[in-house]
Amino acid sequence: MSTQLHASISEETVRRISAEYDEPEWLLETRLDALSALDDLEYPSVIRTPGRQWTNLEGLDYEALVDPLTQAEEKDQVGPDDVSVLPFHEALDEYGDLVEEAFGSVVPPMDNRLVALSTALFTTGTVVYVPAGVAAEDVTIRTTMRSRSLFNYTLVVTEESSSVTILERQDSGSVEGANEDVDHRYYSGIVEVVAGENSHVQYGALQDFDEETYNYTLKRAAAAAFANVSWIEGNLGSRLTKTTVGTELTGDGSETKIVGAFFGHDDQHFDLDSRVWHRAEHTVADLVTRGVIDDRARSVYEGTQDVGKDAWDTNSYQRENTLMLSDESEADASPKLIINNHDTEASHSATVGQIDREDLFYMTTRGVDDRRAKNMLVEGFFVPVLAEIAVAEFREDLEARISERLR
Amino acid sequence: MSSEDLKDTDTEARFEFKKEQKAAFTAEKGLTEATIRLISEDKDEPEWMLERRLRALKQYQKMPMPTDWPGQPDLSELDVEEIVPYIRPDIDTRGGEESWEDLPEEIRDTFDKLGIPEAERNALSGVGAQYESEIVYQNMQEQWEKKGVIFMDMDKAVREHPDIVEEYFMTKCVPPSDNKFAALHGAVWSGGSFVYVPEGVTVQMPIQAYFRMNSEGMGQFEHTLIIAEEGSEVHYIEGCSAPKYGRHNLHSGGVEVFVGEDAHVQYSTVQNWSKNTYNLNTKRAIVEAGGTMEWVSGSMGSKATMLYPCSILKGRGATDNHITIAFAGKGQNIDTGAKVYHNAPNTKSTIESKSISKDGGRTNYRGLVHIADGAVDSSTSVECDALMFDNESTSDTMPYMEIEESRVDVAHEATVGKIGDEDVFYLQSRGLDDDDAKQMIVAGFIEPITEELPIEYAVELNRLIELEMEGSLG
Repeated sequence: MSTQLHASISEETVRRISAEYDEPEWLLETRLDALSALDDLEYPSVIRTPGRQWTNLEGLDYEALVDPLTQAEEKDQVGPDDVSVLPFHEALDEYGDLVEEAFGSVVPPMDNRLVALSTALFTTGTVVYVPAGVAAEDVTIRTTMRSRSLFNYTLVVTEESSSVTILERQDSGSVEGANEDVDHRYYSGIVEVVAGENSHVQYGALQDFDEETYNYTLKRAAAAAFANVSWIEGNLGSRLTKTTVGTELTGDGSETKIVGAFFGHDDQHFDLDSRVWHRAEHTVADLVTRGVIDDRARSVYEGTQDVGKDAWDTNSYQRENTLMLSDESEADASPKLIINNHDTEASHSATVGQIDREDLFYMTTRGVDDRRAKNMLVEGFFVPVLAEIAVAEFREDLEARISERLR
Repeated sequence: MSSEDLKDTDTEARFEFKKEQKAAFTAEKGLTEATIRLISEDKDEPEWMLERRLRALKQYQKMPMPTDWPGQPDLSELDVEEIVPYIRPDIDTRGGEESWEDLPEEIRDTFDKLGIPEAERNALSGVGAQYESEIVYQNMQEQWEKKGVIFMDMDKAVREHPDIVEEYFMTKCVPPSDNKFAALHGAVWSGGSFVYVPEGVTVQMPIQAYFRMNSEGMGQFEHTLIIAEEGSEVHYIEGCSAPKYGRHNLHSGGVEVFVGEDAHVQYSTVQNWSKNTYNLNTKRAIVEAGGTMEWVSGSMGSKATMLYPCSILKGRGATDNHITIAFAGKGQNIDTGAKVYHNAPNTKSTIESKSISKDGGRTNYRGLVHIADGAVDSSTSVECDALMFDNESTSDTMPYMEIEESRVDVAHEATVGKIGDEDVFYLQSRGLDDDDAKQMIVAGFIEPITEELPIEYAVELNRLIELEMEGSLG
């Protein structure tokens, strides 16, 4: 790979970050390993078809985007008493062994070039630790970016038969100490979920960055036996988003659900990638995404259901629907099935279309003006995914943001 | 070919016999400029064709092997340098005899066993038969010739219709730069069919070409060029087979179809290459306004197949239909699908794919639908179903959709499942044994597709599938 990253992304920078937080030796080593692997690693995979690349990550000017030593953010990390919700570096002091064991166990720091970059440079993060048997609702994490670039890390560990609901919100605030407007910004977030036996994790993320922010996010869970992991993905903001959310169903009887909603407008580019790996017996996956694109926005959807050789009695479903509101918009989709065990019931479907003209006509005959009719139909389009969202607060937030966007 | 006639033939014997390898001219193995010049010279070609071949060779040498497609068949054992690109069978006339009687005994016997002359009598407008690198038999019923329909050996067309061939041959539809194997094809192509249907002519019975590789380690690179003028209609059927040898064979055909305004072309293939054959083809149609292109493909044979027939819907209201059946048994990797480019308003495509994998076979549906900006009121519907027999087998589905126009209707659906134990149990309870029950379920699985095929083809496909299943269940 030829693209040279920022000159300040150096061993010295990494050592400085690590020293500032008084990090243990293993973490410094992990960071340095990731740093030295950077140039050998590929960018996150994106789809290519003859003559086309669906998202161009190589083309981003990381040198201009990344400024590792000025990272700043505002963060709220709140949770009920019986759950530990800690800033990453506090968690290192309090649960050092637990963090060391879990860190990088689901998302390898060398997974790809941007993960390695994030591993080397992250300065902030959250650890959510749910002890055995504890049931916790309402863990909320809010990150407001206050710098040109921010690298964020989140770790969730749930012990046996516990349950937790986590809501994460991301947005962009003004840049601290900036004299002039910063025109492009970069956010990178890695989320690892280690879901213990028979635990339930709901992780909702509402991404609402300003439209100057380039956003790379990788979220992945490993689900032990009978664990259940639900991801909810709301993507509204950013200039460009490349996000991969997935679950490895490693334990027998584990289940996952990935629910996604996106709404792109102006020149936004969303590349949304959902993945599930069935790696044990009797596992179930359900992937449901709906999105709307308007103006010159572009959406890329990739969904992969990968059924391993030992995944007997698998059920795996995927649905994706895109609604195009503008003639200048563009929607690409590629749902994939990779099936290595025949004892599988799997299906996927994808559609792309516009607002049904007959529906629109019907509404206007009932006296609803054109714009309102259109807006109602768009809101109606999202109903099936909203109905999949069990957390009322998240659902209401998302609904509100969708209505806001409908002008 | 009636279904009665087919029942009387032993399908396995029809494909698996081998003939002594006899040839009048055999090119050296591998690919050099000298080989290309020799082939062109042996064919007495005009200068422009030699130049095209040499250009294609340069392209081929420049292009990398395709190795970075997700989950693609392994081509590492394919050594093009070890493939004999050109074998001219030992017969006197060029461009194909017009009577089976005039062919040498072994060649005639080969096609007799394959049932071609019989089919010609019963159900076809014309027949071409290619043995190794050359068409050895070509005949067309007189009534079609009188209407101006041309069906001839591609090599002969280069000499007899140079204007048309020079204009259309690997220029607008499949240029050698399209992919590495198209470039290889452009360099060493030999044989194949040239079909020209004049304006308004409907060729009522299908035209068939049969391609047979008999020699070990050879490559067959036939080129098919079909031009259907405005309002015409033709159905072209292609059959392929080869006996199995220890060394690998390579089939890399090129098919170019020009569907004129309101014309209708159906291109049907039942491919039963031996399981040491790499089948890497490029097939593409350009469809003008109101025209319809139908690709019907049954992929049963080969070690590895990579085949994605493509329709470019260029004119308003053009239509594409794809029907694909893939059956991968032991050691087979069938990677096939469809490509459609909607480049005009009101265009429509329908893709139906059924794949079956068993005994460690691997099937992959790989498809691309592209709707260009401005192709308003276009629609596409893709349906892929896969059936898996056992845990050694693999079935992948990888569709790609690129939608640049909002006023469209795009739908893709896919399912994968195993042969239902309950279905098998039910049929067994009605007195069928396990094998028969499974065969019946497979026949039912592909029925929605076979019922859209011409009857002879449906029968042939079913028999091939039965054969595959017997071979492995026994």
